[in-house]
Amino acid sequence: MAMTARQRARVSLYVQAGIFVVAIAALILATDWKTIGNSVFNFAKIGPMFPGIFTTGLVNTLIYTVLGFVVGLSGGLLLALMKLSSFPLYRWIATGYIEFFRGIPALLVFIAFGYGVPLAFGVSWNITLVVMLSLGIVASAYIAETLRAGLQAVPKGQLEAARSLGMPQWRAMVTIVIPQAFRIVLPPLTNEVILLTKDSSLIYVLGLTASQYELTKFGRDGISSLGAGLTPLLVAGAFYLVITIPLSLLARKFESRSARTKR
Amino acid sequence: MNDVVNNSRGGTATVHAAGVSITDLRKSYGTNEVLKGISLDVAPGEVVCLIGPSGSGKSTLLRCVNLLEQPNQGSIHVGGFEATDPDVDIDKMRRKVGMVFQQFNLFPHLDAKRNCSIAQVKVLKRSQAEADKVSLHNLERVGLGHLADRFPDQLSGGQQQRVAIARALSMDPELMLFDEPTSALDPETVGDVLSVMRNLAKEGMTMLVVTHEMGFAREVADRVVFMDGGVVVEEGVAEQVIAAPAQPRTKEFLRRVLDPTHIEIEE
Repeated sequence: MAMTARQRARVSLYVQAGIFVVAIAALILATDWKTIGNSVFNFAKIGPMFPGIFTTGLVNTLIYTVLGFVVGLSGGLLLALMKLSSFPLYRWIATGYIEFFRGIPALLVFIAFGYGVPLAFGVSWNITLVVMLSLGIVASAYIAETLRAGLQAVPKGQLEAARSLGMPQWRAMVTIVIPQAFRIVLPPLTNEVILLTKDSSLIYVLGLTASQYELTKFGRDGISSLGAGLTPLLVAGAFYLVITIPLSLLARKFESRSARTKR
Repeated sequence: MNDVVNNSRGGTATVHAAGVSITDLRKSYGTNEVLKGISLDVAPGEVVCLIGPSGSGKSTLLRCVNLLEQPNQGSIHVGGFEATDPDVDIDKMRRKVGMVFQQFNLFPHLDAKRNCSIAQVKVLKRSQAEADKVSLHNLERVGLGHLADRFPDQLSGGQQQRVAIARALSMDPELMLFDEPTSALDPETVGDVLSVMRNLAKEGMTMLVVTHEMGFAREVADRVVFMDGGVVVEEGVAEQVIAAPAQPRTKEFLRRVLDPTHIEIEE
């Protein structure tokens, strides 16, 4: 039986979808639901996690993320400007920093910062400060590249127009170029916040006290104390989605807005 | 300077107008010399149009005047400033020199009024209220007082260029530089921009205009300067240079510009 090209394309699509459905069904059938139900979906025993997961876990994750973002954004802006500088030394420093901190795992930075620096300088410092700086140091390397792209996307004529009105270089950057760059990078910057939210889960290595637990540490703590298997981690994971999905929607909104108008 | 200017356009106005004096200006990009020793004087209140083929160096010359391009040799005096002095306060000098770009370069994140007021507030340290008043006055001057709240992307090309002129005027410049101000416009909006420039000339503003609008040059300019290959080929009274050029290169250029569809039949 001869088929037209359009019919053949449609049949091939059905076959692909069929293979996909069969694969998922096979996975579901192969799963040991009884065992996993006790250790992952054991919601009967997780009562004690509430309301602490809100008041401690969620709140601390949000605080650490915001603090890390503030440091990351300031540092990232500085690095981006350095990378675009006409002074070679600034460019080298910025490039070195960015490549180094993007290239090594964030976990290592946190360990080095949390344990290495106090040893090196003989001080024991505030845990919130350590968290803020270690998250910020890693975030700034990523944010710097995003901002650099944004700064370069602002047409050269904008700086020329501002300078022609008698604005000094720094004033033209602060008033004219940087605000436009931020508009351009709002969607990718929102994604950086999502990454940072998840990276904040790694700071459990710094030895937090109970009141400093963020979501992941709070979940791990639940594993050892509640006897509900891995269920507390599943709950913690759901709370991350509570933060990241709205951010993701926000990023999409920014994207469609900047696609609609060039402003 | 507070000169009463009588000019050929019949206008008499009290303005602060500055002159320009350019002597033996040279500018190279690498080994490519784009300005090969230009000398040009513009008197306070005078309107000079720079014409010539693309690549002749006229835009570069204009951009050297407010130091958007750094000349390699020669001197430029603008008002009381020597632009080519390595010790010159560039920002202070630029306050006196308005620049209008081919691509408008309005600030897209600010509305028309804020486009005009931002530098007044940040550079001239005027209060926002005073700056707004000056901005509105200048927007009205270019016929756009009613669109002061619009953002650049809500304005036509011609309207954007007029806002750009109002923005430059809001700094109370003594000299205005125009870099092909109508070249990026739809034909039907060119006239509005040219008539704003014509009024400005009547008010006695010193203007240095790079343009391809020969009708405007002929009507408004006191003098026309024809450049080609980085040198001034011919300069003189507008009417004379455009209607009866002396140099063959000027003749050839004007023939192409004024009669672009003319086809030479070669044997």
